[in-house]
Amino acid sequence: MTDKNNIALSVKNLKTFFYTNNRCNKAVNGVSFDVEKGKTLCIVGESGCGKSVTAATIMQLLPTLSRIEEGEIIFRKDDKTINIEKLEKNGKEMRNIRGSDIAMIFQDPMTALNPVYTVGFQISENLKYHTNLNRKEIREKSISLLNDMGIPLPEKRVDEYPHSYSGGMRQRAMIAMAMACNPKILIADEPTTALDVTIQAQIFELMEKLKEENDTAIILITHDMGVVAELADNVAVMYMGNIVEAGTADDVLRRPTHPYTKALLESVPVLGRGKNQDINPIKGSTPDPYNRPIGCQFAPRCNWQTESCDVMPEITQINKTHEIRCHKYEQFFEKYNEKRDS
Amino acid sequence: MTTYIAQRLIIFFPMLLVISFLVYSGLELSPGDAVSHMISPELASTITAEQLDAMREAYGLNQSFITRYWIWLTSMVQGDMGYSMAGGVAISEIMVKTVPATLELSMVALFFSTILGCSLGVISALKRGSGTDNSLTVAGMAGVSIPEFFFGLVAILLFAIELKWLPVGGRLMPHYETVWDRIPNIVLPSLVLALMMTAGAMRYARSSMLDVLAREFITTARSKGMPEWRVNILHGFRVALTPVVVLIGFRLPLLIGGSTIIEQVYQWPGIGSMFIRSVRASDYPLVMTISLMYVFVVLTASLIIDVLTALIDPRVRLGKE
Repeated sequence: MTDKNNIALSVKNLKTFFYTNNRCNKAVNGVSFDVEKGKTLCIVGESGCGKSVTAATIMQLLPTLSRIEEGEIIFRKDDKTINIEKLEKNGKEMRNIRGSDIAMIFQDPMTALNPVYTVGFQISENLKYHTNLNRKEIREKSISLLNDMGIPLPEKRVDEYPHSYSGGMRQRAMIAMAMACNPKILIADEPTTALDVTIQAQIFELMEKLKEENDTAIILITHDMGVVAELADNVAVMYMGNIVEAGTADDVLRRPTHPYTKALLESVPVLGRGKNQDINPIKGSTPDPYNRPIGCQFAPRCNWQTESCDVMPEITQINKTHEIRCHKYEQFFEKYNEKRDS
Repeated sequence: MTTYIAQRLIIFFPMLLVISFLVYSGLELSPGDAVSHMISPELASTITAEQLDAMREAYGLNQSFITRYWIWLTSMVQGDMGYSMAGGVAISEIMVKTVPATLELSMVALFFSTILGCSLGVISALKRGSGTDNSLTVAGMAGVSIPEFFFGLVAILLFAIELKWLPVGGRLMPHYETVWDRIPNIVLPSLVLALMMTAGAMRYARSSMLDVLAREFITTARSKGMPEWRVNILHGFRVALTPVVVLIGFRLPLLIGGSTIIEQVYQWPGIGSMFIRSVRASDYPLVMTISLMYVFVVLTASLIIDVLTALIDPRVRLGKE
């Protein structure tokens, strides 16, 4: 796909299952993707499709009732490769990677910061565990991180508690925390869902800047197609624990080849088209994870469903970068392109 | 914060005054008076109404309720606690004897129950669903629901009477010389009291801890690559501590009030058993002194709780400034 040296993280056939009440939820069911240095990979999909579980799996931050069933998570650090899935969950090696090589930003900055410690303290924890800086240097670094994130009066703000920060400022503080040790990979799990749109733009601008300055690879999890169009270099569309379509942003957004991707794009209202525009929501709702369709997971909701869809389609490589998991993609692609031409 | 404490201190004394008046009125409303408890049953049939009135006059009980309350209040303010009507002993003397006994028992129990309760609760929460957690939960439920006196009596039966390891009750014996001699006496009552309190603290600590461990900032803490102890204790327990501190704070009055039931069961000469006797005898001065002390400790304890919770949780500080 791309030059091996540029890949920071590759995930191969990853399966993460949850076990509750003797039932098994195959939350992530054979996911493969590569994340390149200095590029943004957007993982999109509906709620419950396994986006967040994929992220949590990479960090090994899964809840107790779940485990990595199969597959590989290969992290390339300098010249070495580390198989993350083989590391002990909260063991020393895993902890050395967390927060230092791979850092994470969470969805809701209101709850992701500990209310009883100052923001400075929470940033300094990262530095304390992953650098050799002394107390004074850690404090200076914390202040300069806050400053980089555009927080006014960082010298004063560093000693304040999260409750005196606004939502946007808290998310900046979260990013400061995540970026403290210049991670190779930043995983952002819907970082702006809880924020309003103006703040959203600022946060993304910040992430873009950091990506360019530090060559950080970003895995951005979102369900906002607008965000994808804006930020993504590569896109992976997930549905029910599988990646159904993946490729460069251009591939996926301009030439969507999977009925699900197309449906997702059509269900988003476009600003400027007025209130009479056609929005086609995807019919039905996501199936019960304990009672899945037998073949292609999207088949029951798909307009293109045929008998062949009772078998799970394999991944097909359309071109060098664009891959797809659908039986009917050829017909679909043709029809869609005809439509576009006419 | 300072203004908040100052505010609390300003209402402290009016509150004491109001409560002392309420207790005094309560005693007035109760049937009989001190004199009727002073006469032995044998004399009750022969004594005349005049003799009773003479006794009441001698004790000042014939004066109006308000006058008596005023006399009591003024002398109390001057530091004169008066004499027990039942025995004629100076109340200060009774306090000197009973307060240390109660303090000794409750402090030992409070100390061990707090440490044990918190740590068992945290362990239980961290090992949720395991055998350890389940057995601790069952033990905790049993501890909370079995009445103290029953537990105390069973402990006496087992350890004092059957096994003869420890004395049945009491605090001091004539032949006791050093502190070490007294230890066997305190073991049973403090253990029973402590186990009861441990159960409550443990249930509280467990549920509070479970609540906090499910919060998102715990995942954030873990995502920073910190060791598990730091995630659980520094980020988890620190936040879970607030409700536990409130529970333990409300137990502080026990230090002075004593556990009446345990003191009765073990014949521990503390304030608890003294209080029961004085109420039965309508012993105004003694009841008033003990209840006033109790109120004082309750108010102080709630002040301490507020200060402590504010220290633990910065959001509380902001709300009250």
